[in-house]
Amino acid sequence: MTRVWTVAAVAMLAAAGACSGSGGSGSTSGGATPAPGLKIALIAKSSTNPVFLSARTGAEAAAKELTAKHNVPVTIEWLTPPNEDGQVQAQRIAQAVNEGANAVLISCSDAGKVTGAINDAVARGVQVMTFDSDAPESKRFAFYGVDDVKTGQAVMDELAKQMGEKGQIGILAGNPNAPNLRKRVDGVKQAATKYPGIKIIDTFYHAETAQDAAAEVIRVQNAYPQLNGWAMIGGWPLFTQTLLTDLDPKKVKIVAVDGLPPELAYVEKGLAPVLLAQPTYLWGYESVKRIFDKVQLKQDVPQIIPMELVRVTKDNLADWKKQLKAWGFTGVD
Amino acid sequence: MLSRRLFASSQLGLLLVIGLLGLVLTLFAGSHVDARTGATVNNFLNSYTLIQTATDASFFAVMAVGATVVIVSGGIDLSVGSIYALAGVTTAMILRAMGPADPAVTVIAGAAIAIVVGLVCGALNGLMVVGLDVHPFIITLGTMWILRGIAFVASRAESILLPAPLTSVAKASLGLPSALYPVPMLVMVLVTIVGAVYLTRTVMGRHVFAVGGNVEASRFAGLRISRIKIGVFIASGLTAGLAAFMGASFYGSASCGDATGYELYVIASAVVGGASLSGGKGSAINAMLGALLIVLIRQSIRSLHFDQNYEWIIIGAAVIVAVVLDQSSARFTRRRLATSAGTPTSS
Repeated sequence: MTRVWTVAAVAMLAAAGACSGSGGSGSTSGGATPAPGLKIALIAKSSTNPVFLSARTGAEAAAKELTAKHNVPVTIEWLTPPNEDGQVQAQRIAQAVNEGANAVLISCSDAGKVTGAINDAVARGVQVMTFDSDAPESKRFAFYGVDDVKTGQAVMDELAKQMGEKGQIGILAGNPNAPNLRKRVDGVKQAATKYPGIKIIDTFYHAETAQDAAAEVIRVQNAYPQLNGWAMIGGWPLFTQTLLTDLDPKKVKIVAVDGLPPELAYVEKGLAPVLLAQPTYLWGYESVKRIFDKVQLKQDVPQIIPMELVRVTKDNLADWKKQLKAWGFTGVD
Repeated sequence: MLSRRLFASSQLGLLLVIGLLGLVLTLFAGSHVDARTGATVNNFLNSYTLIQTATDASFFAVMAVGATVVIVSGGIDLSVGSIYALAGVTTAMILRAMGPADPAVTVIAGAAIAIVVGLVCGALNGLMVVGLDVHPFIITLGTMWILRGIAFVASRAESILLPAPLTSVAKASLGLPSALYPVPMLVMVLVTIVGAVYLTRTVMGRHVFAVGGNVEASRFAGLRISRIKIGVFIASGLTAGLAAFMGASFYGSASCGDATGYELYVIASAVVGGASLSGGKGSAINAMLGALLIVLIRQSIRSLHFDQNYEWIIIGAAVIVAVVLDQSSARFTRRRLATSAGTPTSS
């Protein structure tokens, strides 16, 4: 009995502390009926992944702009789970709908898990848009992101150039259940068939945290010392500084997707001569604008909105850094 | 008599706390205008949120009932999340291989596969704990990785869709308005009742309490300790398999990453419900209410617009402080009773 009351008391006290010390979710506080406007629930894959934090920044910037321009309050409700879990994402979609969200913007950790929840939301009048990782069998009205197969192919083509079309490579993948990442792996493998001098050792999965990814790279590199190329379909390990010292740029070349500030040192050092950056800020920024067009302005929106990759090398590194700064990124030299 | 035993004071306490949190959410979670009807709807006190909360809790709660049986016996099962993943993946793979079949056959086969996988995994846990004489923490820590690894290798990390009849059953509205799905909640209640009856009204349940309370005394009393220990892990595996069937059917797919980390929520549910990790104490109803309470705390964090990054801190702190204070309270009670009886005590 004591235990039960204590749980409730601790939870409330801690929650009160969290509330007072937090930036909150940027939306209405409890107690009153919110003013009419557009409330968008943003559900990315994981709140510990920097690319989704930049998407959130972009979404909030677009919401601010749209609010000022159209005099319609646009709010972003950040409902991203702390770690990847399609089941929790499905629960959060339902919660967003139950609490009056007008639209949901989601990057699907597991398309199979969230398709039902997306369809339920649409049936209850809530528009859903996907970004980064799609749920193509669902009733979402649009998807914004790169073509994942082409992205994988581009990674392999760039890596082949860097390696002189010969050597042994590993494919670094993240969450094995994410449909977008599976497609990128397929793309890498498809493109590799063009390069008979290149042998793929294997595809290596890991928990999508920077440390787990870096540890996996080091483990694999120790197990396969002859490995001299990495096709990274996400930039996870490059968010650490470990590989800058553990890998020799004269022996190993990396081509990775994404180009966020921590990764840029790898370009400067020559370990990752090419990054194929997804403008992740635009995931949020563009998607919120498209949702506004669809829900508020009742305009037609294309079902597939392609995102173009930005090829980041030493040649355009300074320009890319400027762009990142303009998008509000910190930690850019 | 049974209902009085089922709903003892600790259950009432949990219900009161859940009610109090519900009241807080009703008052402070705000409201919104329903886009279709134009009516103002309370963000918490509406049928969709209430059933959704119970649904979210149901997957933990069903597993927590089984985990509570293990905890009452003095053991622990860290592998329930992995059993869930393996049972879900196996079900999905076999049903896919079977191809289209009669819907009733598909549903029965799906349930049978998931439950059998759960039973087998539970039996393996029990046999290893007893046969190797290794602490259940170590055995189930190992099987937690092994079983998830098997699910990973077998499924090749693919997210496998379940046949539509399973989802139709798990998401049957049973006469309620569309998008209200009470089946997981009903399964949770049913499993809890069965678990409560098993623990409190059967000889086998009494044996579990006896073993958890004092294993040596139970041995001298002639109880077959090994059989009881294997049995509790089978019960835990069974509930994990059932939860996997329900979860995979409800969400429409299964993958090797399912239920990662859920074992901690399951154990937390049992502990918050008053189960003692040293054995001899626990309740199926309390475990279900513990799961509901934890899900409600998670719900509160979002519904009250607190920074959700604090979720883990809040739940972790709540569990630790609760257990420590509960132990202090029990110690205080023992001392008071000993003092009134005039005998010395040891802490």
